[in-house]
Amino acid sequence: MMPANLVGTAVALGLFVLAGGAYGVLYTASVARSSILLERASYLCYVSQLLIALAVCLVSPLGLLWKLFIATSALAYGFIPPVTWRLLEKMHHQHAQ
Amino acid sequence: MYRSQRLALRYFAAAITLFGVMTAAGLLSALYYVDSSLLYNVFDFQMAKILHINTLVIWLLMGFIGAVYWFLPRELGREVVGIWLAEVLFWIFCAAVAVVAVVFIFVQYGSSDQFSMWFINQGRKYVEAPRWAAVGIVAVVLTFVYNVTATAWRARRMTGILWVLILDLVPLSVLYLDAFPQITNMSHDLYWWWWLVHMWVEGTWEVLIGCLMAWSLMELMGTSRRIVEAWLYIEVMMVLGTGILGLGHHYFWIGTPQYWLGIGGFFSALEPLPLLGMVVHAVYDAGTHHMKTTNRPAFYWVLAEAFGNFIGAGVWGFMMTLPQINLYSHGTQWTVSHGHFAFWGAYGCGVIAIIYLVLQQTRKAQNFDSRAWKWSFALLNLGLVGMVGGLLVAGITQAIYERAQGGSTLQAFVVASENQWFQSGMYARVIFGLLFAIGYLVLVYDLLVIGKRAAVAQRTQEASA
Amino acid sequence: MLVVLTFLTVDSLNVTRAGGIQVPNYDVINQEIGYANDWSRGFEVPVIGASEPLFGRTYSLPEATELMKLGKAVIQSRACMDCHTFFGNGAYYGPDLTKSWLDPAWSQIWMPMTGAATRGDAMVEFLMHPEQYPTWTRQMPNLHLTRAEAQAVVAYLKWMSAVDTNGFPAHFGRIQTQN
Repeated sequence: MMPANLVGTAVALGLFVLAGGAYGVLYTASVARSSILLERASYLCYVSQLLIALAVCLVSPLGLLWKLFIATSALAYGFIPPVTWRLLEKMHHQHAQ
Repeated sequence: MYRSQRLALRYFAAAITLFGVMTAAGLLSALYYVDSSLLYNVFDFQMAKILHINTLVIWLLMGFIGAVYWFLPRELGREVVGIWLAEVLFWIFCAAVAVVAVVFIFVQYGSSDQFSMWFINQGRKYVEAPRWAAVGIVAVVLTFVYNVTATAWRARRMTGILWVLILDLVPLSVLYLDAFPQITNMSHDLYWWWWLVHMWVEGTWEVLIGCLMAWSLMELMGTSRRIVEAWLYIEVMMVLGTGILGLGHHYFWIGTPQYWLGIGGFFSALEPLPLLGMVVHAVYDAGTHHMKTTNRPAFYWVLAEAFGNFIGAGVWGFMMTLPQINLYSHGTQWTVSHGHFAFWGAYGCGVIAIIYLVLQQTRKAQNFDSRAWKWSFALLNLGLVGMVGGLLVAGITQAIYERAQGGSTLQAFVVASENQWFQSGMYARVIFGLLFAIGYLVLVYDLLVIGKRAAVAQRTQEASA
Repeated sequence: MLVVLTFLTVDSLNVTRAGGIQVPNYDVINQEIGYANDWSRGFEVPVIGASEPLFGRTYSLPEATELMKLGKAVIQSRACMDCHTFFGNGAYYGPDLTKSWLDPAWSQIWMPMTGAATRGDAMVEFLMHPEQYPTWTRQMPNLHLTRAEAQAVVAYLKWMSAVDTNGFPAHFGRIQTQN
């Protein structure tokens, strides 16, 4: 791996997770506050995460299996915040009842 | 207050003291990078480093043990069984830590015989404490296990959190036995060493802090037991699901078979996912409570824990965990950057949160707020993020110039270390380390006084009413 | 997961025992060691060459094993891992020692500096008196090694350089292997 590729790929992978985190935080905050603005911001973060994943798959020197893994986990990141939210809501409701 | 809880307060005092020693030793270690003639042949880098990382482990361990001694009698509604033994062992523990520190400072190392291993320095990173002290730690942990299980047994009561805790204490005790052997073959040595370092610190501790956070959330936000327990089970399953084979990312380059590249890379790349779930949970809790709580310092430190863990372990870990990148980032300051961030996020913030939670209860203050906690919160976190940033810049420089271009020879190591980016990163680490140290001093001041004045005013008000 | 880990552990310990598939026996210190690309695996692996006695003698397997035991004891007692890294693990203040035996600096810098005839002897001389042979601002402290201890460490480093580490560190000692 060439040095420029090395740094570029590592930074992209870091940003990939960071964007996923930002999406999770903003999504949860948007539902908690019923804010459309926050919701849009959260989707923007998720779209940027998908774009980073795409860039890693197209440009980086990672092996094919790792690229597949990145692509799959990019999709998984999309589900985690809404699923976690629903799970938490369900637990809280059950408890309230 | 139960005797066990008074013991908890002593453990917290010892933990915070060692946190200070860790910070001082860390600052000293950072200084060698900017002035390499510092204390040459008098007190060299490795001794400062040993003090830094061993006090790190011990202060966190003392924080955890103290927290359990605090929560346990509340959980079971009775005094901890065999508390006198725990009290005696606390003082022995402190004395042992002091003796080991004195030996590390003044004797430093011995010759290549068994005497060194038993009484001076075992020289395996994180496991430098001589064997006699390791025996002491085993005794403390076994007493701790006895206290917890016997109290639950005597109380004839078990809760979900306690089950998880007790089951976790088994590997916590067993894995530490790896602190004793002296294995000639470096590959075997490091294979087992990672069982201790990864499984103990990143596995059993992760579960332990999960239990402590569950108790803390119940007290801090009034979250119901069913919810925290359900969440704890999910967390434990996910941490164990990804963490056990995530161990494999330490087995890329130690002589172990090539299949570890795939297994370790895959499972450790999954590790950010449960952390993301935890961040969502933290935001959910903060949202449903509208950021309102009677204990703002504890609340903010809990939030810092969730975010710090996600960024430190998740983001920083993912940057360098895939084998193709790790080949170049491994063994550089990049790892140091990740280590600092992850330890702080996963454990440091959590222990501080618990101490604030406990202090509010001991000082019986409803208005538990101060200006100092905000300063210490800001300084400690800013200092940490700055240090981690400096180390990341230095680490990336090493990955490029030492590993990828230079081929990791001594010459390549020197070239990378003299690179301007590396040196700037190291200077930044010292400066932000100083900020962190100031934050620590403010934290100590705040822990000593927070809530005291409010509690006195509250009592006067109640008396006059 | 634990069951899988148990199986992998049994296999890994077998592969990494001295004399296993990826870790050579201790008497490899009697042979030449190089580091060259293995095209089938896509990275560099150690290459064990012709006979090359260490410190002018050939060690039997039991002798070599004893020497390694001493070497590891020295490495632990002087806490080498708290400045250097082994297979990339340890502290990061000193250079990585995984392939240190193959480092061209020994022949290019230390052999002329110490006046030693072989790389092994230069390493011993440096380890015993590091303050006399400074090459850089960050200097190794004098850890009061006896000659026997220093020789054992050098032997240990030679053995370690023959461990197949899945290509870590990449492109090490190019000059060494090209020669």
